[in-house]
Amino acid sequence: MAKVQVLNVAVLDNPSPFGNPFQFEITFECMEDLPEDLEWKIIYVGSAESEEYDQVLDSVLVGPVPAGRHMFVFQADAPNTGLIPESDAVGVTVVLITCTYRGQEFIRIGYYVNNEYTDPELRENPPVKPNYTQLQRNILASNPRVTRFHINWEATLDKMEDSENVDPAPNTMLPPTSMPSKAPPLGLMPDNSMDCL
Amino acid sequence: MKLLKPSWVNHNGKPIFSVDIHPDGTKFATGGQGEDSGKVVIWNMAPVLREEDEKNENIPKLLCQMDNHLACVNCVRWSNNGLYLASGGDDKLVMVWKRAAFIGPSTVFGSSSKLANVEQWRCVMILRNHTGDVMDVAWSPHDVWLASCSVDNTIVIWNARKFPEIVMTLKGHTGLVKGLTWDPVGKYIASQADDHSLKVWRTMDWQMETNITKPFSECGGTTHVLRLSWSPDGQYLVSAHAMNNSGPTAQIIERDGWKTNMDFVGHRKAVTVVKFNPKIFKKKQKNGSTPKPSCPYCCCAVGSKDRSLSVWLTSLKRPLVVIHDLFDKSIMDITWTLNGLGLLVCSMDGTVAFLDFSQDELGDPLNEEEKNAIHQNIYGKSLAITMESHLSSTIIENPEMLKYQQERQGNQNPNGAQGSGPENQTPKLTNVLNGESLEDIRKNLLKKQVETRTADGRRRITPLCIAQLDTGDFSPALFNSVPILPGSSASTQLTPQISSDSSTANSLGLRPSHDPTTTSPNKTAEENKDSGPAAVNSIGMKSNLLLTSASKMEPMKALDSRFTERSKATPGVTILWFHLRVKDSSSVKEPKVKDETSSDSEDKIMAKPLSMAKRKGEMEGAEVVEKRKKGRPRKDFFSRTHVMSVRIKDKTKEPSRLITPVAVLKLPTPSIQKSFSTQVSTDAIAYLEVENEVSVVSGARLSQLKWSRDGREWDTLLTSRITIATGSSDIVAVACEDRTLSVFTTCGRRLIPSIMLPAPLAALHCSGHFVMVLMASATLSVWDVQKQTALVKNESLNPILSGTDATVSQSFLTQQGVAVVSLSNGKTYCFNSSLETWNLIADKQDSLVQCADFRNCLTSQDALGSMGPLALTQGRNLSAGRLASRLSSTPHHLQQGMTLAFLENQLSSALMLLSASEYRHWLLIYARFLVNEGYEMRLRELCQDLLGPVHKSSSSSWEPTVLGLRKRDLLTEVLPVIGQNLRFQRLFTEYQDQLELLRLK
Repeated sequence: MAKVQVLNVAVLDNPSPFGNPFQFEITFECMEDLPEDLEWKIIYVGSAESEEYDQVLDSVLVGPVPAGRHMFVFQADAPNTGLIPESDAVGVTVVLITCTYRGQEFIRIGYYVNNEYTDPELRENPPVKPNYTQLQRNILASNPRVTRFHINWEATLDKMEDSENVDPAPNTMLPPTSMPSKAPPLGLMPDNSMDCL
Repeated sequence: MKLLKPSWVNHNGKPIFSVDIHPDGTKFATGGQGEDSGKVVIWNMAPVLREEDEKNENIPKLLCQMDNHLACVNCVRWSNNGLYLASGGDDKLVMVWKRAAFIGPSTVFGSSSKLANVEQWRCVMILRNHTGDVMDVAWSPHDVWLASCSVDNTIVIWNARKFPEIVMTLKGHTGLVKGLTWDPVGKYIASQADDHSLKVWRTMDWQMETNITKPFSECGGTTHVLRLSWSPDGQYLVSAHAMNNSGPTAQIIERDGWKTNMDFVGHRKAVTVVKFNPKIFKKKQKNGSTPKPSCPYCCCAVGSKDRSLSVWLTSLKRPLVVIHDLFDKSIMDITWTLNGLGLLVCSMDGTVAFLDFSQDELGDPLNEEEKNAIHQNIYGKSLAITMESHLSSTIIENPEMLKYQQERQGNQNPNGAQGSGPENQTPKLTNVLNGESLEDIRKNLLKKQVETRTADGRRRITPLCIAQLDTGDFSPALFNSVPILPGSSASTQLTPQISSDSSTANSLGLRPSHDPTTTSPNKTAEENKDSGPAAVNSIGMKSNLLLTSASKMEPMKALDSRFTERSKATPGVTILWFHLRVKDSSSVKEPKVKDETSSDSEDKIMAKPLSMAKRKGEMEGAEVVEKRKKGRPRKDFFSRTHVMSVRIKDKTKEPSRLITPVAVLKLPTPSIQKSFSTQVSTDAIAYLEVENEVSVVSGARLSQLKWSRDGREWDTLLTSRITIATGSSDIVAVACEDRTLSVFTTCGRRLIPSIMLPAPLAALHCSGHFVMVLMASATLSVWDVQKQTALVKNESLNPILSGTDATVSQSFLTQQGVAVVSLSNGKTYCFNSSLETWNLIADKQDSLVQCADFRNCLTSQDALGSMGPLALTQGRNLSAGRLASRLSSTPHHLQQGMTLAFLENQLSSALMLLSASEYRHWLLIYARFLVNEGYEMRLRELCQDLLGPVHKSSSSSWEPTVLGLRKRDLLTEVLPVIGQNLRFQRLFTEYQDQLELLRLK
């Protein structure tokens, strides 16, 4: 069972200019002391068409995590505009917050993000080359999409001593191309993917 | 009888395997299949019982749902005190849940339903032992034990007071065990399995009382569960699926002689579940009729695979009621309300049904007193069930025993008092915010939170702990407290709801208007508050967003998959990070190891020429260790010995070169210094000062040895340069460059002429009258200079050094003249001169040491540890039990075995080291462990050895003392420990009496 439950994610500074850093205030609860840190990541999906344009905005280790309820603010810089296809700059995209423990992702929180010009004139006639300074980012904070994955929380006894030297779960080692495109990777069942939209 | 099928009790159409009503009747739990996991749901009972409550939207129906089980939940059972819920599932786990009362309703983050968990139940214990699906769980009367049975053919009895301790694993079934029931009197537990048998086990010794097979021999096919039940008066046990003349029945088994003469007949398919009404009834007294004394009777509900339910009264030959076609699929579980008039039934089809009887139909339920009276009539006084009540009703036969029992209770009471306050009944999240409001904290969280960089440059945030969880507090005090009262729900103590100020407005505005969560009062308040411009604003924004999203439908779909799929970025980065971590940790590790070895070798040298610590210890020659132990800052130690340690580092390389295939063992020898002084730990502090090459008389060099204590001093001259000087309370020994060893009294008188050593000296220790030398040729000698005898003569270290590349890291001599040698591989040996063997007395890598868990056998004094050579070699903070907690998943019997083995090792090691105080220390821990774990045979053997023969006989080889301790005195100390467990009352009395007898002699 999952030792860490995410209780809430508050989207701070939202809506905000495109160039502002992302700020998520994450509240989570942990059932027992975790010997290792959690790793959180913010991934900005640059283009719906391809994962190639995904940007990991930042990743942080969070620890130590004793049993209890904790919160922290995860701030990450805005995406590098140079890596976003121009045609995808304006409109709806997704930002993902993922958390991994011992290299295994156990929760993925996704938000729709709407990037729009605030100026009505720009909205009517958007420039071909996106003007990022005029763009407003609006995260649809009310509709998080949460997917939880079962992972192995325990370092098994025999692995305990050398757990650092163990390769990550074989699933995560699969080359991305071998992953089924629509289904989650083998052995990782999203245990309650919640549909909100 | 009223019948209701509350449609809102469902698992979204998935099967419901188990249902159980809380003892206080306010809620019930269901267990079954969830979406991709097992599911446990706690429901409010009120809407089931009353129609107006069902219609009232302010009364929550669902109280809490837990999808922590990885696979289907087969059984949910409330503890009798109502504090805990146990669930067992296909994931082989038993989980124990406890209510956490803190912030009241909270939504499951990201859940679409927006259904609040009104109550917070969290898993406080995961019981792992079964190797197959757990089919049934059952709390014993008074919640002393929790039993679980599994398709692994076993039944595990858990100690419900000390989870995850296993009391016993009952083995004997040869098929999947699918049902359990406790005898209400607590004497037996019965199990039914697919192996065509029903077994009854005694709780006294956990052995099988009877094995009933005849009614089950014809049973073919399989039912998912075989939930059997014991009648509340304890007289009858009713099985699930049995066969009689090829018809399915529920077999009635009489307690008296386990006779199987009766059965419930009528179901067309196998009986899956039988459940007795908890009440005993007597016939309803009709108005006007003369009160006739009638025989009390029981009531029993039977559910079957044929989808029908029958309810029987033991006073009637025919069923009271049979309900067909109540469900579309097999009945899986039945539960009665505590008042005996209500009944919940669940089915594989994912629905539940509620039956409400009237007293006219069932009869007058007996009250608890009347029920107890029946129990007393049948079972006499000893209807006592639990350990506690069992013990309290056990007649204490010995006044001494009474004393120890009273003492024990006295010790427990302070704890009990703490837990008995009404506030403590529900576990709490301890608030750690120091009075600051959560809102204040949140405003500044980004600025305030601690962010550091790891060695590899990654950001690391220390999360702010806003509440501590109490996990798994299984103190008896909590267990004994009364169940949560219906009114004491957590909703009274709402703390600020977690939601961001900036996002609340948006999220509220964007939420559909038919949002069902208008139940929470503070939420509605928020909504009202925000109904101003903010809401308008956000509605406008919403339409905006919808517009754009409509125009971008295609990418939205494409994006949708991204929510559930792991992105490439995740694993990729993870792996990178992983490698970094590996590198990082290994690089950290290595220097550490190096550091250790080097400090080890420092110790070694320190202990030799320069063991000049200004410290008084009881252990001569072991000053260095002493110092480390007492946690003296090592820094100044290093600075004083700086020059030395440099040289030592070069030296450490030597051994590895020396341990060559030639197998010529050689230990490093200390180098010669111009002058040095050393402190000898005796009663008063004495100093030894050595000055080499003090005077040159016609080319001859002399060395001076100077001794001083309390102003008294003497000096003597030696012809060769002194390499090591050391002393004890009785003697002073010096070794010279020319391989001679001289021994003086503390007055400076030479005791024996110079001893010619066969090889250069590596280490020299004195203790009492004993002198120990470790030669560079890796041989050991120990002499008693008072008696002028050799205890150990040129004994080679070969047996312990060969085959390893370890070096001697430390050596010392105990006050009893036992030579102890520690190696760099963490092993420590002592040489036993009577056996002429090297004995392993400590091993830092020993997994037994790491896994043994005897902490609960330590008293407060014991926790400080014992002083002595054994503690010295094993380190003060013995890592024992270090891994024990991590091993909570290890089967209990394994850990029990490891602890036993470890304690016995300690005992024999203390004996070998002739360390009396430590022997006593470990003996008492050992005895306590045996008493706690119930090792009667070993305990008896221990007592017998300590007591010895009562009547003297010449043939007996019994020694009345061990290490100078009188064994019978030890027994006097051990007996109170035994006296704390009433189970060993006879043993206690037996030895107490014999001891008394001997004392009178």
